[in-house]
Amino acid sequence: MTRPLIYEDSTLPIHAYLDGELDPTNALAVEKRMATDPALAAECERVEALQCLMREHLPREAPPPGLRMRVETAVGMRRPRAQLSHAQFSWRALAASIAVTAVVASGATSMLRAPSRTDLVRDGIVDAHIRSLMASQPIDVASSDRHTVKPWFNGRIPQAPRVVDLAKEDFPLVGGRIDVVGELPVPTLVYGHRKHLISLTAIPAPGRANSAPVPRTVDGYNMYRWVEDGVAYWAVSDVAAADLDKFSELFRTTPPDQ
Amino acid sequence: MTVVSLHSRGALRTKGHLDDGPGQDFDQNPRIDNDKDMALGQDDHARFARLVLPHLGDAYSLARWITGNRADAEDVVQDACLRAFRAIGGVGDGSARPWVLTVVRNTAYTWLRKNRPSAILAVEDLQVVETANAKAGDPDSETPETALIARADAASLQAAIMALPTAYRETMILRDVQGLSYREIGEVTGVPIGTVMSRLARGRNQVIKAIGRTES
Repeated sequence: MTRPLIYEDSTLPIHAYLDGELDPTNALAVEKRMATDPALAAECERVEALQCLMREHLPREAPPPGLRMRVETAVGMRRPRAQLSHAQFSWRALAASIAVTAVVASGATSMLRAPSRTDLVRDGIVDAHIRSLMASQPIDVASSDRHTVKPWFNGRIPQAPRVVDLAKEDFPLVGGRIDVVGELPVPTLVYGHRKHLISLTAIPAPGRANSAPVPRTVDGYNMYRWVEDGVAYWAVSDVAAADLDKFSELFRTTPPDQ
Repeated sequence: MTVVSLHSRGALRTKGHLDDGPGQDFDQNPRIDNDKDMALGQDDHARFARLVLPHLGDAYSLARWITGNRADAEDVVQDACLRAFRAIGGVGDGSARPWVLTVVRNTAYTWLRKNRPSAILAVEDLQVVETANAKAGDPDSETPETALIARADAASLQAAIMALPTAYRETMILRDVQGLSYREIGEVTGVPIGTVMSRLARGRNQVIKAIGRTES
């Protein structure tokens, strides 16, 4: 009996065969050898059983909670935050501790430099966008029809946002959700753009003068803010700044009833 | 409903009405970022988010199998991501996953050498093991039946894989858990495809025999 010179172990090609790494000619040769060699066929079965076992018991896994945030902080995509700096935390545990934290923190805030409200609103909106991307659903109401999305907000918050249809411009409406920024529930519209999502949050700003969109980058996300008719709009997304600029301009200039 | 802005709840105590702040603070005082500096960082961050972050699960899994420990794996991944971030400018979009895993693997070995020198089998030792295995021809060791392998539970499977020399273990994980091709595994572990194949065969054979010993 002759063996191929390249293999010092006759079972070696079995593995390449099962892994789909052999070309058709060599795969056929392995199959022929197994047909006449029961020991080789049995070895093939065992390896196959092991592969099944590994697929069953050792699936590919998601990173543990907190690791992504830790990595993003390490590379500077996210500013370190005292309460979130430890890798080991769960959203559920955090939620349970909010009440306690709020009470404790309220006594201590006088000692800290108070961040401006704009900073807090901005952070809150970016957090809401990031959180929505981590959730199984980035939206509370899923619809591409603005006549479905707008009424959904009515009855949930005092003022439903302006909703425009930008599907023709490649910014299809995906749906909407309610975020809580500070302590106020605010409406957020979600638009899509080439597999990316854009969160557009509308915050009442009575008495504020209209302003044109101003770009910013926060935690690696692009952000545009503008004021129109007593409402401050915040658009946040990981799409390119140019796309978000186009989106902001389109949203501002498209009348809702068209 | 999405609850956000948890970190700032203490400081933000507006009741019922939320003004979004003095506009000039935001519009005219750009202290969040300096546009020139950010242009560069923003691009790197975007590339990092696109090329590295999607593979965090695989990175963590490989680090855990090499270090054998969850907390160590997280430290290794963080360190590896920092290295990857510094090199992100020179990486092509096409082969991000093998590249990320290569950085993680190298970081894990550096970490092991520093913290657990005993856990690493030197290359010469491995060659001795490989030669011994190749010459043994397995005359004395019993090979278990297929049904026995299929019945094994997760714990004995993991124990059997953990008992492998690191080089066999990482090769098996890259192939059977993460689904890399032989060529990609060769890239990540820095060996020729023939070596990938023989490490895979020996690793699997040892695991099969270890399962046979614990299950029978």
